[in-house]
Amino acid sequence: MKPSTRKTVLILTPIILLLIIAIIIFFPKQSDKENEQRTLNVLNWTSYIPDEIIEEFEDEYKVKVNYSTYSSNEELLAKLTSSQTGTYDVVFPSDYMVDLLISRDMLNPLDIEKLPNSTNIREQFLAQPYDEENKYSLPFLLATTVFLYDSSKIDKISSYKDLQDPSLENNLVLLDDQRIIIGAMLNASGYEMNDTHADHLEASLEFFNKIKPNIKAFDSDSPKTFFITKEVDAGLVWNAEATLAIEENPDLRSAYPEEGFALSMDNYVILKGSKNTELAHEFINYLLRDDICQRIVDEYPYISPNKSVESLPDEELTEVLSRGSYVENVGADIKSFDRLWAKYK
Amino acid sequence: MKKKSEKYSLFKAVFTLPVIIYSILLILVPLAFVFFLSFMKSDNYGGYLLEFNLENYGEVLDSTYLLIFLKSILIGLATTFICLLISYPFAIFLRGKTERQRNLIMKLVMVPFLTNSLIRTYGLITLLRKNGVINSGLLATGLISEPLNLMYNNIGILIGMVYTLLPFMILPVCSAVSKVDQNLLDAAEDLGAGKISKIFRVYLPLTIQGAFNGSLMVFIPAIGFFFIADILGGGKAMIIGNLIKNQFLTARNWPLGAAFSIVLLGLTFVLVKLYRKIGGDLDELGGG
Repeated sequence: MKPSTRKTVLILTPIILLLIIAIIIFFPKQSDKENEQRTLNVLNWTSYIPDEIIEEFEDEYKVKVNYSTYSSNEELLAKLTSSQTGTYDVVFPSDYMVDLLISRDMLNPLDIEKLPNSTNIREQFLAQPYDEENKYSLPFLLATTVFLYDSSKIDKISSYKDLQDPSLENNLVLLDDQRIIIGAMLNASGYEMNDTHADHLEASLEFFNKIKPNIKAFDSDSPKTFFITKEVDAGLVWNAEATLAIEENPDLRSAYPEEGFALSMDNYVILKGSKNTELAHEFINYLLRDDICQRIVDEYPYISPNKSVESLPDEELTEVLSRGSYVENVGADIKSFDRLWAKYK
Repeated sequence: MKKKSEKYSLFKAVFTLPVIIYSILLILVPLAFVFFLSFMKSDNYGGYLLEFNLENYGEVLDSTYLLIFLKSILIGLATTFICLLISYPFAIFLRGKTERQRNLIMKLVMVPFLTNSLIRTYGLITLLRKNGVINSGLLATGLISEPLNLMYNNIGILIGMVYTLLPFMILPVCSAVSKVDQNLLDAAEDLGAGKISKIFRVYLPLTIQGAFNGSLMVFIPAIGFFFIADILGGGKAMIIGNLIKNQFLTARNWPLGAAFSIVLLGLTFVLVKLYRKIGGDLDELGGG
């Protein structure tokens, strides 16, 4: 290279780099400004509402929805506490996280008058322990843990004891979730799933150790895959995963664990500091519509609280809700759960 | 003359300033915050309370967690050892090739690593699972009668780790081996050294730095790559990486997570110090 060209390169490179950086930094802001229409910021679980439903809402109400996702309640909490208030309008926390958000004064009360479609919700789903008056939250979808097993290979699995059967060696998949699995083992040992007593936790570990040789994997992302590829014959999974797996392999059966199981209810809430509470209510009201609820469960077969959506018969539902229990916020005792989980593994 | 060098130092400043700012803002400041956080108390909601205490470090010493550290170190050591075992014969094989062949082979080693490692790890599942490619192949040829358990155990973790980290070993080892003087090898042969004895008595002593350099770059990530342990180990094996991740994402105990990170950092620091001690060049580490 000639000295002069070299000089030009030396001068130009940093300038070009700076320009690129400037463009990257300032570009999104400009595109925001172009958008004068109303925007709603939604933060939801990954794979929970089909994209078309959001797009149709945008078209119908002539608004823009900024839709982002999280994959655990803790991630949601971290996103909320690390961002400015008003960054998000509508989020979908589960039971214990609703409780936690209420206790930290992070939620905006719902205005039921603006949610006429809330009458579509079945009575049994209202007034849950984490928000007894439904002042801040309305139920969106219910998940329960269930056993899933291949009936062509296994007679029946109805109790956690059945998972200890030596014939199931290296043949189980369990959710990779410390509160759910420790909770299940507490249930199996005759305790309540949110029990924090050290002896009871120890007993749960003992029970678990007899299941351990049978466990092939812990997976929360897609345990159904293990069944579809016939990697395992039994496991403890979320109900929607079970339904989807059964669609693929009709030999599979699901059953509620006798000793008790986990419930997880996700809820619509509006965050305090939301700049679009009006639109947020419209969005929730839209999602509460019969046809929308139906389409959501068609894609993700959890239990919808909507009256018109075909799900469990009333009696079974009441039984499920009374036998299952929610994960509760255990405060500082979460440390003992965490340490125990390290021992489980 | 003087003027010119001043001008060049200005250029230097223009070029290095962004890097310095970048390092301070995105590496030093967060690191300082992690260090600070590790002495705070958790508020159980993912935040922290401004109370100085050493409790987090006390908790790190809990036998449950120490076992996880031990297990991670064992997995890291095993991975490093297997990588070394593969890299040396490969490097010596490569030494005997022409430059064109060498370039082509090195490209073949590097190309897969342009793909995201998470995707490659998922790719391994299709090979390793019970009715995956390897098992169906072996069953069809009648070599085995029962599918092998190649994943959802420690074997799976090791396969994944070695596969992902091998290039970090191959690069420094190959570069060190290629620099060994042919005269020394000829001399060794004249004095009656066989293939094996050449490896242990000529190559190894002359390339120990390259080997240590590679070992460092394999070992350190291996104790932290939680996604490989999660995906190929079936989430059954907890290593330091998972442990730290759990503190931030499930246990909502950021200070404890920070303390684990600092301990891990300390471990890394000790290893790098050791590397310097045997005469390693820090620039070579950064180059990988």
